[in-house]
Amino acid sequence: MEWLGLALLALVGAGIILTGLPAAVVLVAVATLGAILGIASGTIEPATLGALSTRLINLFENDLLQALPLYVTMGLLLDRLPVADALYRTSNAILPRKPAAPLVSGMLLGALLGPMNGSVGASVLGLSRVVAPRLAAEGIPAANRQALVAVASTLGVLVPPSLVLILLSDAMLSAHTIAVTTTGRSDRVINTQDIFHAALLPGGLFLVLCLGLSWIAGRNAAHLPAREKLRAGEALLAAVALALLILLLGGVTFGYFYAVEAAAMGAFTMLLTGLGTGRLRLEALNKLLGDAIALTGALFALLLAATTFTMVLRLLGTADLVGRIVSSIPGGDITAVAIVLALIGISAFVLDAFEIIFVIVPIVIPPLLIRVADARWVAVLVLLTLQASFLLPPFGYALMMVRGVLKEPVAFRAMLRALAPFLAAQWLLLLVVLAFPQLTHTGQSPADSTRLPATPMSDAEFNKRLQEMIQIPELPDLEDQNRK
Amino acid sequence: MRAGRDVTIVLRSIDRVIGWLVASAKWLALPLITLLFLQWPLRDLVRAWSREANDLGQIAFALFVALSVTAATRAHTHLAADLVSQRYSARTRTWLARAGAALGLLPWAGFVLIASRPSVIASLRIHEAFQDSGNPGYFLIKIALWIMASAVIGQALVDIFRSDAR
Repeated sequence: MEWLGLALLALVGAGIILTGLPAAVVLVAVATLGAILGIASGTIEPATLGALSTRLINLFENDLLQALPLYVTMGLLLDRLPVADALYRTSNAILPRKPAAPLVSGMLLGALLGPMNGSVGASVLGLSRVVAPRLAAEGIPAANRQALVAVASTLGVLVPPSLVLILLSDAMLSAHTIAVTTTGRSDRVINTQDIFHAALLPGGLFLVLCLGLSWIAGRNAAHLPAREKLRAGEALLAAVALALLILLLGGVTFGYFYAVEAAAMGAFTMLLTGLGTGRLRLEALNKLLGDAIALTGALFALLLAATTFTMVLRLLGTADLVGRIVSSIPGGDITAVAIVLALIGISAFVLDAFEIIFVIVPIVIPPLLIRVADARWVAVLVLLTLQASFLLPPFGYALMMVRGVLKEPVAFRAMLRALAPFLAAQWLLLLVVLAFPQLTHTGQSPADSTRLPATPMSDAEFNKRLQEMIQIPELPDLEDQNRK
Repeated sequence: MRAGRDVTIVLRSIDRVIGWLVASAKWLALPLITLLFLQWPLRDLVRAWSREANDLGQIAFALFVALSVTAATRAHTHLAADLVSQRYSARTRTWLARAGAALGLLPWAGFVLIASRPSVIASLRIHEAFQDSGNPGYFLIKIALWIMASAVIGQALVDIFRSDAR
């Protein structure tokens, strides 16, 4: 029945596309079908399904997931407050008055907003509102405007501490724990901060490439941008926002506070600013919090549904099957990683980044990390693949969202032409990081490097440990719980 | 005829109760943001009450996300791909939504409710505390699972019989 899991995975993809139902609904419906077939065939013991409640309760008490509502609220607050506008206008005023300046400012704003609001969707909304109309006024063609907003919105994926990065870190932590325990390697299990550090250099390189490409693309703009008349209040707001961003980013990177605390600081500061300046009165706050709970629910429902679905796949033995498939890929580490990344890339045609993190990563990454020891490298490659998935024409999430928000008809060919240099830069970076893993190890302590077990493990022992690790945990003893 | 009217009244009541719960739960975002913000100064500057802020924040988070799932359903913010389905008639889309609620959400939430019963009841009976800090209130996190499942069931019933409920 282990192959049934792969059929269920395909059914999820087909169900999402053909029914138009929420991915969470499709996942729980297919998981229910899988559980019924598993029980009917004798593969699944009905009692083992009881572990689902423990797994779901774990999500309700997960410290890292507390970042979800914080980031969502921050994104909504950024959209209500004039922070993005002030940052964009200040950047335009500082940059030399050249035709490309508005495009470069738009890209910079994307890099600044990304970590502050965490999600690609919130960045698209913010940049579409602030940057797109100004680019239109400067005579930048619609295809270039849309391409810039889409690319700039995905910069937050690589720049810590973004929501995608935090959620992937959580998934990588679980996957690496399985890999380390299974292989007996004496590695320290990677955490959110390790992945932040690993992503810094590739993220910085991509930002530099994007700024350069924006500069080149903007050289053909119709005319020089209007001289920016910046008010003192706007400049002050931009300076404070920039200082806060550097404080949060630096604090998280150097370990002064956790990513969730940084998100809470950002949300709290913006909330106070909104209330203090009178821009967030009771009615607006009521609407903002209504949007925040609904958007948080969309992500949390997906997480609950994916947890249910992946548990059914494990009970059907599909995780074990995927483990065997990954371990049998011929060639070295790079080949194995490239094939798994290609699988994630193909999934991106049907699933968005959050669905990939919650459904695909827990299935394919643990066996990959059993084979490939470098978890930081794998994490950054997955991040780059996810970022590419947002821009994958024609259905990439960022592209679809930009088209939906800006509502400007742009021919697919024109859009592809405007996007092509950025896509080429993205794929080039992916290949460079694939070929040079050391790019993800800047500033890493030698103590964190991988150490093989003193005694090589036999195949039988390896398989036994793998089986133990991928088994569903038993229902916790109530006596144990009572001791809490 | 009368039975049909009674069902309609019950469903409308469920809809109103869920609407009220969701509208109330959204305000939990404010204490959640405040408590998680306070963690760092309490831990590094005051050097006290940080665990308490964390535990209270966890409770606020659990209750907030428990109702957020249904809030997303009511606000139609769930992640979905409508490239193909936008070509379907409104009637087909309505039936698909009802089928999704009846065959997906309802059995799943029902199972969660039943499977978690021993754990939640035991936790409630002893007023289970947080393991690390010993602070009271951990049982509220387990109850949040029931709140989530109950709200999903209620909303699924309303959505399946939507034309009768509203």
